[in-house]
Amino acid sequence: MSGRAGTRLLAVLPSVAAAFMLALLAVPLLALVLSTPPGDLIDGLRHPLALSALRLSLLTTSISLGLTLLLGTPLAWWMARHQGPAERIAAALVQLPIVVPPAVSGLALLLAFGRRGLLGPLLDRAGLALPFTTAAVVLAELFVSSPFYVQSAVAAFRRLDEDLLWAARSLGAGPARRFFRVALPLSRPGVVTGAALSWARALGEFGATLMFAGNLQGRTQTLPLAIYSALETDLRPAKALSILLVAVALVVLGVLGRGTVLEAVRARA
Amino acid sequence: MLELELEVVRDGFTLDVQLSLAPGPTALVGPNGAGKSTLLRSVLGAVPVRRGRIVLDGRALLDTARGLSVPTEDRRVAWVPQEYALFPHLTVLENVTFGIPGQVGRARAGAVMDQLGLAALGSRRPGALSGGERQKVALARALAAEPRALLLDEPLAALDADTREATRALLAESLHRLAIPSLVVTHEMRDVLALGGPVVLIEAGRIRSAGALDVFRASPPSEFARSLVTRVVGGV
Repeated sequence: MSGRAGTRLLAVLPSVAAAFMLALLAVPLLALVLSTPPGDLIDGLRHPLALSALRLSLLTTSISLGLTLLLGTPLAWWMARHQGPAERIAAALVQLPIVVPPAVSGLALLLAFGRRGLLGPLLDRAGLALPFTTAAVVLAELFVSSPFYVQSAVAAFRRLDEDLLWAARSLGAGPARRFFRVALPLSRPGVVTGAALSWARALGEFGATLMFAGNLQGRTQTLPLAIYSALETDLRPAKALSILLVAVALVVLGVLGRGTVLEAVRARA
Repeated sequence: MLELELEVVRDGFTLDVQLSLAPGPTALVGPNGAGKSTLLRSVLGAVPVRRGRIVLDGRALLDTARGLSVPTEDRRVAWVPQEYALFPHLTVLENVTFGIPGQVGRARAGAVMDQLGLAALGSRRPGALSGGERQKVALARALAAEPRALLLDEPLAALDADTREATRALLAESLHRLAIPSLVVTHEMRDVLALGGPVVLIEAGRIRSAGALDVFRASPPSEFARSLVTRVVGGV
């Protein structure tokens, strides 16, 4: 090989690598769509397994998103506005579920809320049994997905112009008015992005749910678990549900895209 | 009447001032880093005061000896920072009525906006306003809340020269009509002259002089004051 040819090969190598990477990402999704004729898609979605999983996933992810907003927003506000050892510990706690493998999360949830878990006796006395219930699905989703929201909201709250809040105060606005009338509307892009990411993560939750909530149709079998179960019997609902989840992911990406565009516009204003 | 007795320590900088402000505008001048903005922010309650008292019309807003500190939202001290801090997501009308919600608020806001020539801009957002318009909205928002004292941090500095000329008179007139203590930070002798009230000179965190404008002009108490006074003669 002459020196010049070697140089030319080196020059195209990055392009080849990039194309290969892209193909690796595209081919599986393409295969999913190509292997599912429209008839199969409709049949698959009508399958009882699909319908009950769809219903359950919508229910549980709605509840976990609601709880995330309700509990995560005050946490994010507090983390954004204070700096100290307590906040650093909170920041670490909020990051962990994002990087910890879902199977580990599932085991941890079992060891915390299971019958023989840390809080088992307490829950038992209260007449509550969490594992293998719909509530356990919600808890698993909350555990793995809420950090995405909290992190995004903290970042958004930190970007707020402090002077706007002082101006609001000087005009007589108390904490609630400052938050709902000034801070929240101005942080909306980051908060919406976080909520969308967190919901998508909850919708895709598999490992922790399987370990902590099980795979019971109608009770704990969410969409990803239904896909997993269908693999053993009838591939059609599995493929149909997968395409549905890909479509939902595209919608979420659309929401995120709008969020980031909004942020960019605001940053320039 | 606004009486201040403040000791603020911040990042190695000490602000130590005693000041009594009569109703009407008072100009606050001094070199960069002298503590002008810090003084304003400590009256607002945005900067912790180590020791001191703030008394506004006989009502103590702060008294560290008694452990008293009225929260900013209850001080009735309006503040207009250098970049105005208008709420970018609210319209001009919503900005001006922010401190006074409800029917009464809208009426009062309307009156203030008429006075400042903002009536036609009510539905605009701050991002769609010129610098001069933004300055007036910030003033309108502060005035509509009916404060007992007003703090303005370089209210004209962000404006281009022409707009500054036009806005200066309006600002001075509004502050005189208002008849509440108002402290106006400025770097421009023209502003000081237009305001016409007492001049407070602050240097390195301490009051160098406080008194009538004529005295300040006739015998500038420091090198900085002298350059400030002479700059106006040949300047813009």
